[in-house]
Amino acid sequence: MAQQMTREESVRRKQQSINSVITVILSIVCVIWMYPILLIVFNSLKVESAISTNRIFELPIGNAFNGFQNFIYGVTKMDFMSSFWYSLFITVSSVALIILCCSMCAWYISRVTSKFSSAVYYLCVFSMVVPFQMVMFTLSKTADTLKLNTPYNICVIYLGFGAGLAVFMFTGFMKSMPLEIEEAAMIDGCSPLQIFFRIVMPITKPTTISTAILETMWVWNDYLLPTLVLDIKKYRTIPMDIQYFRGSYGSVQMGPMMACIVITIIPVIVLYLVCQKHIIEGVVAGAVKG
Amino acid sequence: MEKSIRKYWPVFVLPTMAAFTIGFIWPFIWGLYLSLCKFQTLKKVTFIGLSNYTKVFEDATFVHAFGFTALFTIVSTLTINILAFFLAMLLTRKARGTNVFRTIFFMPNLIGGIVLGYIWQSLLNGLLSKWGMPLLALSAKEGFWGLVILMGWQQIGYMMIIYIAGLQNVSPDLIEAAEIDGATSWQVLKSVKIPIVMPSITICTFLTLTNSFKLFDQNLSLTNGEPAKNTQMLALNIYETYYARSGASWKGIGQAKAVVFFLIVVVISLVQLRFTRSKEVQA
Amino acid sequence: MKKKLVSVLLTASMAAAVLAGCGGASAPAAAPAAQEEAKEEAPAEEKEEAAAPAAEAGAGKVYYLNFKPEADPQWQELAKAYTEETGVPVTVVTAASGEYETTLQAEMAKSDAPTLFQVNGPVGLKNWADYCYDLTGSDIVNNLTSDAFELKNEDGSIAGVGYVIESYGIITNKTLLEKAGYTVDDIKSFDDLKKIADDIQARKDEIGVKGAFASTGMDGSSDWRFKTHLANLPIYYEYQADGIDQTDAIKGDFLDNYKNVFDLYITDSTCDPKELSAKTGDDARNEFLNGEAVFYQNGSWEYSSLAEKFTDDEIAMIPIYFGVDDANQGLCTGTENYWCVNAEASDDDIQATLDFINWCTSSETGASCMANDMGFVIPFKTAVESPNVFVKQDNEMTAGGKTPVSWNFTTMPSENWKNGVGSALTAYAAGTGDWDAVVTAFVDGWATEYALNE
Repeated sequence: MAQQMTREESVRRKQQSINSVITVILSIVCVIWMYPILLIVFNSLKVESAISTNRIFELPIGNAFNGFQNFIYGVTKMDFMSSFWYSLFITVSSVALIILCCSMCAWYISRVTSKFSSAVYYLCVFSMVVPFQMVMFTLSKTADTLKLNTPYNICVIYLGFGAGLAVFMFTGFMKSMPLEIEEAAMIDGCSPLQIFFRIVMPITKPTTISTAILETMWVWNDYLLPTLVLDIKKYRTIPMDIQYFRGSYGSVQMGPMMACIVITIIPVIVLYLVCQKHIIEGVVAGAVKG
Repeated sequence: MEKSIRKYWPVFVLPTMAAFTIGFIWPFIWGLYLSLCKFQTLKKVTFIGLSNYTKVFEDATFVHAFGFTALFTIVSTLTINILAFFLAMLLTRKARGTNVFRTIFFMPNLIGGIVLGYIWQSLLNGLLSKWGMPLLALSAKEGFWGLVILMGWQQIGYMMIIYIAGLQNVSPDLIEAAEIDGATSWQVLKSVKIPIVMPSITICTFLTLTNSFKLFDQNLSLTNGEPAKNTQMLALNIYETYYARSGASWKGIGQAKAVVFFLIVVVISLVQLRFTRSKEVQA
Repeated sequence: MKKKLVSVLLTASMAAAVLAGCGGASAPAAAPAAQEEAKEEAPAEEKEEAAAPAAEAGAGKVYYLNFKPEADPQWQELAKAYTEETGVPVTVVTAASGEYETTLQAEMAKSDAPTLFQVNGPVGLKNWADYCYDLTGSDIVNNLTSDAFELKNEDGSIAGVGYVIESYGIITNKTLLEKAGYTVDDIKSFDDLKKIADDIQARKDEIGVKGAFASTGMDGSSDWRFKTHLANLPIYYEYQADGIDQTDAIKGDFLDNYKNVFDLYITDSTCDPKELSAKTGDDARNEFLNGEAVFYQNGSWEYSSLAEKFTDDEIAMIPIYFGVDDANQGLCTGTENYWCVNAEASDDDIQATLDFINWCTSSETGASCMANDMGFVIPFKTAVESPNVFVKQDNEMTAGGKTPVSWNFTTMPSENWKNGVGSALTAYAAGTGDWDAVVTAFVDGWATEYALNE
């Protein structure tokens, strides 16, 4: 008996020492993993001439240090702040609209058995595999005709093109929800709208979060759709701005470009660190449903 | 209950379907039609039948882009999934710092494609020039591996999270039972862990496969197809045909390419799902 | 608890109702609008949005898609000045460099399309001929100093007017050249240029420069200097030899000369040829401004940025001697900037656009902005003399009996051809490709692209 204990003990010891080796190795890997982001932060603080290919690894010290000049230039000259707000507004409004409309649509599909609802469902699944290039020209033309080309109403386009994934995820979850509570509420005299907002919405919270995360990452980072759809005379989003650093004045302004990249990724990273638990759970929930 | 919900269809289904029609169904059908036409803007659209499609396959850049994309998809799907699975195995051993590692590995996933491309362009060009090798824009081989590294950096964390969730479903009792039966750790992995994690593998391969195949932003910002369109992937090739080539005939060819591209994506998705799902059933 | 629920419900159902309303309203609008499109562009619909102030007055508006990034700030100013003076809204959008065609294609398909856009010459015109308003008899055409600047369709209608004449050559830092023991007058031919550049390169530390030539930046934002401008010379001499002004099959007889000049650029350079692919136009300009290089191939449009650092006596532009007819060769002078008015725009917008370009070239504010701020020489009777020293040097050379090299790159088959040559040149410079690939891209690519354009 005692012998067995020691054997288990030694196995556990061995496990522990392997684990500490793993911790050390993964720590090193993590530093390497973070390095590209650090590199950009360093370079955003350097003067233009020190960002060239052969000096990219120099630290922002001495002659190379430029303070926050790049940030000031990038923000003021390129009108970066307005792009930032447009991006933010588009993302928030589109994701809110997608969540609301698609969860309602999905509930209908999962509760009503008819040819119509299965047609809607299969169209949504189908739309998920269609690459954007297939519709890019006709979609931008349609948006243009309907004047859906401002940051304030482009969310309709996002709802349209993003509906597939959201409806698919919500339907998957709602089909597995028990009907009893809803039926009981119906007998109590609740209208379908009341049932949806009072009962269904709270239960679907995990799916709502994971859908919201997926759609947010898509809309916030999207480049081609806003480039083709938005009225470029007036509006630009962040990814468009970053692309415009290449040559909008006949050259590439590396310094301000690095600064704007930093401004772009910092809020995302902060947001991520604050609600990483939800984000990671959301990713898992989303994947399991898929 | 179904009846009363049915009455509410204008509230529940109409907004989404209206937007879906504007944002997807109508552009899709219209796109199909335009692939049979010659047009520059929409003021003059001439129906020319299937001749756009014959030109698609005569275009050497498209064929090359197809080959490049296919190779890239295979390599990146394999590397991402193997590395992500490996990391997930390490992170489910309850070693110290697991949560911090998970957080850091996932982080690049939040950065957008255009930004990612420029970050890695600076970094890789810096390294290459240090080693005295030709820069990214000069070598298709480096461009290829650059894209693989970039994709890996972005996606490994995401896939790792999914694998971790899958591995947590494997009950310790089962592993213990196998070990008592004298199974080596390789056998445990092959016969116990992988079959249980199969649903995660299905979803991860599906995601990496379609993401890699439809890659656009990263391709545009990292190499922009240089040198001489040798690192151009299908999505970028279509975009370029559509918008960067002048002349009325190109738009129709671009649209036809897009239809072909769409069909390829559908076929790949179906085959992949059928293949991995069949493995799941066996398990 | 119950009250709270009720209020939540109320807001939610209201939101739902509003959304449903939106959806309902836009769905029927989608179908008919789209049908109209298939037939013909929908007639300018009433713009009820406050976003279009021009519509309310019924007067036209101007949307200029500008090709020249270096003049973007000045155009924005000029547009503002015009709006203040006349009340006509003018929007100027500048495409990122190398993306003009992409942006133009995307924008022309929109209902609010550019009213004023640019084509680069006969080849560019071919794609957009249907969209060019016939300018025959308009004020802007009557104001031209020579009908050579009219861009004509095959039927003789005037599709575009060249609005700026530019020259390019090798910009030289005279002070540094003198420090090395030479003057501009010592350079009379390609051999002279090579001898002096090699000498400067050999003694670069003594002279205090990094190299004779500023880096030949092959990054996509700057490689036009070589794949387009330098490539003009072999085309020019071939056209001269054959007595033609356009061809669909180039022979490449003068590509060896092209190679010699390019070799000179990359050998006597400030940096390792391997790094050129990531070098930008900015890098080259900075090297020249910082006195790290003596020579810098670029054009008269660089004057405004160089004048901030150098006085007119310190810089000169010399011809890109090509080793063919060096004694008579002048600077490369011409235009690739033709204004076209969008024929599909509404009559009001067309009129507003014509008024605007007329104002830019003939009013005091406009003409002086184009000459002084943008540093352009414009081929109009009402032009203000430009302070641009490179332009003056061009005039002196022409007066001295030299023949300006015309801009034949407007006959290059397509952007795609230029990109092909550019990639081959970049690979050649870095040593990953050979010169034969450049020749293939140049000669075979030309024929292929011309065939595709048909």
